[in-house]
Amino acid sequence: MEMGFFLGCNMPAIRPDLERAIRATMPDLGVDLVEMEGYVCCPAFGSFPSTDDESHLAASGWNLSIAEEKEIDILVECGSCYSSLSMGRHLLMEDAKKRAHVNTLLEPTGRSVTGKSKVRHITDVLYNEVGTEKIKQALKHSLQGLHCVVQYPCHTLYPSNIVGFEKSARKPVAMENLVRALGAEVDPFSREHQCCGGAGGFTNNSPKEATAFIKEKFDAILEETQADCIVTSCITCLMHLDNIQKTLNEQLGEEKYTLPVFDYSQLLALCMGCDPAQVACISTMPRDAILNRF
Amino acid sequence: MDMNQTNPNLWKEIYDNKDLLFCYNCSTCISGCPASQADPPLLIRNLARKVILGLEDELFDDDTPWTCVSCSLCEEMCPMDVKPFELCLAVRKWQSKNDETRIPSSIVDIFRRGYTQAVGTNTELRKKLGLPELHVLTKFPEKRKQFQDMLMKTELINENAYMFSEE
Repeated sequence: MEMGFFLGCNMPAIRPDLERAIRATMPDLGVDLVEMEGYVCCPAFGSFPSTDDESHLAASGWNLSIAEEKEIDILVECGSCYSSLSMGRHLLMEDAKKRAHVNTLLEPTGRSVTGKSKVRHITDVLYNEVGTEKIKQALKHSLQGLHCVVQYPCHTLYPSNIVGFEKSARKPVAMENLVRALGAEVDPFSREHQCCGGAGGFTNNSPKEATAFIKEKFDAILEETQADCIVTSCITCLMHLDNIQKTLNEQLGEEKYTLPVFDYSQLLALCMGCDPAQVACISTMPRDAILNRF
Repeated sequence: MDMNQTNPNLWKEIYDNKDLLFCYNCSTCISGCPASQADPPLLIRNLARKVILGLEDELFDDDTPWTCVSCSLCEEMCPMDVKPFELCLAVRKWQSKNDETRIPSSIVDIFRRGYTQAVGTNTELRKKLGLPELHVLTKFPEKRKQFQDMLMKTELINENAYMFSEE
């Protein structure tokens, strides 16, 4: 199946090794990635969705119409992009008047929005389209003996009527089953479903409190699990959980928080035989302890 | 507080959704909200009260909606379907409309280059990783112009056109 690969901004600009991991794995699993020429910001919730409906939905429509023109669905890794594109599509589908207006704005491009292209998160595609059996068959290496904890990206869970692909947003299972398919163990813990807090204005407007907020989660991981690493499926969770550990250590004056953080596609790529120097070479916390397995 | 100074129709102006009026202050929107731990805290329940009671002046100066992380857990859990995250965005929109200093600079970045980040500038690193050239907006001058023309036709951007002029 072909899908439009919506890159967002952080992945291609700051963590292109993750983009490499996705491009290296999806086609071998039966998902061919199609470029979305001239795509724009999803738009981020702090941009047009915070100023007015009209420009917000125009930007959503711009992106959705690129996929519709190609008659394909959209594949997204970034949680915020996934949520914004999904909400934009939802708002355009439930309001015919707003949809008609956006289509008038899009007229000079020759494109339009009718709703025929769906927005899919990569976890959803890997779990519900590819499936864990096919993933297992594609592996050259196993993560056997490795303990992982999972960071479920909020934007892939809530609100479930718009973004949901789990049977229950209260008890998500896709990511942990995907991690188990690689041979690793997934350790549960009390704050498993706590948000990373990395998106939006929290970290900028209230840095001290935002750091204290995520410290509670890291302390729970250290106290309650044998985790060797954290696995997520969202560029914001990935970058925030990785980078904030440096801040936590600086505050504490010792190297207490040193958990490697991976996007699922990076672990998948490593297990499928990809070169760590291409698919997992950018991080704040060293990941050698795990990369050395490959 | 002088309740004669309130605007009883404020909710229609900000968030014309009758479900808002069913909010009974249960605070489900606050439990689990990361930004409720911020300083000052984002207390969505209080935002709902201010909108319903029409406390225009207080809401105008309230910075807390901008601390939201957009996780949307409140949207999932609200028992009265108030859609608190949408309410939060609606308050931001109302503030942006009535106070141009609220308009985030990120929309200027998106207008000019398509994205908040400088996507497409790390060509050496991308080449090293074996990645293809990016099909970003700035690579297609005609598409970029169409995108800017489209945005310039929207009301808020048109009214604040001076913010978007190229240096």
